[in-house]
Amino acid sequence: MRLAAAFIFLATPLAAQDVDGAVNEHILPGYSALAEETTLLADAACAAEDLKPAFSSAFDAWVRVSHLRFGPSEADDRAFALAFWPDPRGSTPKTLAALISDADPVVEDAAAFGTVSVAGRGFYALEFLLFDPQFAEQSSSPYLCTLTQAITRDIAANAAAIEAGWQNHAALMTAPGNDAYRTEEEAIRQLFTALATGLEFTSQARLGRPMGTFERPRPNRAEARRSDRSLRHVVLSLEATRALAGHIATRDDALDALFEKAISQAEALDDPVFANVATPQGRIRVEALQSSVEEIRRYLGGTVAPRLGIEAGFNALDGD
Amino acid sequence: MPARRSFLVGLLSAGLAPRLSWADAGSPAFLSAARTPAGRYVLCGLSEAGSISFQIPIPDRGHAAAAHPTKPQAVAFARRPGTFALVVNCATGEVDQRLYAPEGRHFYGHGAFAEGGDILLTTENDYEAGRGMLGLWDARNGYARMGEITSGGVGPHDMKLMSDGRLAVANGGIETHPETGRTKLNLATMQPNLSYVSLDGVVSEVVELNPALRRNSIRHLAVDGRDRVGMAMQWQGDVADSVPLVAVHDARTGKLMLGAAQDQRSLLGYAGSIAMAGETVAVTSPKGGIAQTYSLEDFGLLNQVERPDICGVAAIGAEYVTTTGSGLFENHSGRPKRTQTRLNWDNHLVSLVS
Repeated sequence: MRLAAAFIFLATPLAAQDVDGAVNEHILPGYSALAEETTLLADAACAAEDLKPAFSSAFDAWVRVSHLRFGPSEADDRAFALAFWPDPRGSTPKTLAALISDADPVVEDAAAFGTVSVAGRGFYALEFLLFDPQFAEQSSSPYLCTLTQAITRDIAANAAAIEAGWQNHAALMTAPGNDAYRTEEEAIRQLFTALATGLEFTSQARLGRPMGTFERPRPNRAEARRSDRSLRHVVLSLEATRALAGHIATRDDALDALFEKAISQAEALDDPVFANVATPQGRIRVEALQSSVEEIRRYLGGTVAPRLGIEAGFNALDGD
Repeated sequence: MPARRSFLVGLLSAGLAPRLSWADAGSPAFLSAARTPAGRYVLCGLSEAGSISFQIPIPDRGHAAAAHPTKPQAVAFARRPGTFALVVNCATGEVDQRLYAPEGRHFYGHGAFAEGGDILLTTENDYEAGRGMLGLWDARNGYARMGEITSGGVGPHDMKLMSDGRLAVANGGIETHPETGRTKLNLATMQPNLSYVSLDGVVSEVVELNPALRRNSIRHLAVDGRDRVGMAMQWQGDVADSVPLVAVHDARTGKLMLGAAQDQRSLLGYAGSIAMAGETVAVTSPKGGIAQTYSLEDFGLLNQVERPDICGVAAIGAEYVTTTGSGLFENHSGRPKRTQTRLNWDNHLVSLVS
């Protein structure tokens, strides 16, 4: 038996996947960092100059786990409450404006605030309050301070709940044969789906939303443009998905090189909020970056998935 | 069968068939889109045994088709977010006409005939406003665009004609925009429903699942002769969540029945197609590689078969026919019959028998 196991190991040196590593070295530290940074955010004073650095660090921590959308992040809509974007109908500013104009007392009670629409909670709502002139100009109002703190505490509570949930979920994922993961294949498939979906979001939403069409670019749709974080989110999420990919397909140098290429292109863009998509030159460079992210996705679907034995069928590939 | 077909072809070439009916199209019992081994896309007519009656090239990946109730004509839709549909003459294998979605709209891949075949309806996205629409086309007048009405929600996908002339519309609840492909823009706030809509645009009834199932995108429908509407859902929450993915709404009594979540765990959050036959409803899951049949009486699980990439399902008598993405056609009625082709059968098998 030992000989057979050794033979299998030698025969498939490239096919390795490391669920334990993905959980213990990527997911748990990521959500732990989010919990820590959001605690600091909730403890920050109301003044914008105190809040902004804490907002930036906590938002970074979120983007680094924003592809890990399964299990504890999905219970009780926690991830949606942390990150309501894209917002095609402008629900976030509408929800905030309604709270402010009514001076809604819901902000005074944490449990009650948890019932407010997810559009008015989380990092993107907080960004509006801190950076959008419509709200930032009234930052000295006591109601806005209370609202801001309701949002930061709600963020911290959700981050803490996800981290706590992962203590149990980690065991389910690393020792399959339970209701959440009946087999190891289901655990691997979940991680692969998170990786592929995270890259799709970066390509189609983070890059695709501001790109719009050639005739009608939409720079105003860039993610977190008010805080100049649009490109930063692309880089952070590429780095984070690269780390996860390293556990799903260990020692796959070709895959890692594709990430390297995309991250280098992103870092060379020098266009923090994708304002240049409005010019042909600027647009071409963002398109090239998007193509590189798509190339990673194609490699995952065409090479990595079959190797893991989770190749998607003609009809199972994506929802219709 | 071959003898009968050549007889019909002989009739046709001799000009003895003044009006073409479905029987002239090589008697297909079903329609399905497919991909060929060369990577091209086609629309096929299939007999009850799975032999291919006709195979028509189409320019892009197809999805579903709407069969005209009397003429051997079908309108085949591109996969969303497609902007074209093809009116296919299933007797001659020719594309009679191409329909294009108007400016600012795209098709979702499903449609239905109403008014005895006089009007074609198409599910469409008014994507700037994020509103679901139904396009109306005059089948008597070269499929001229007649106008549009509300679908009763966001992201309308499948649609079926009811016996009272209304349309049952599956509003999946998911907003997408062609600029961002198939990216779901509103998962946090999605609100799917089943709407009953009249041709004059009146939404007479809206059925929603309970709030805990708000992320259950109602995507595909089947309706039986007693106006019971089967709904196949696609769960947008966590795949490990145990939720029902099949429901039946009785449009006459208003009763809504949900399947048991534990039975549907093996669908992996994704019911791809649905059909109803007799007192049963069948669903498929290509993700789970499984088809299940339930009793309409108590939603008990009657039967299940496991096939990789199974998705197409249609009724035949009181039984079912299924297709898979790896080319398998199976008629489960009587003594089971299987036909393996080199085509990849697409999501939906459209019945022409009803």
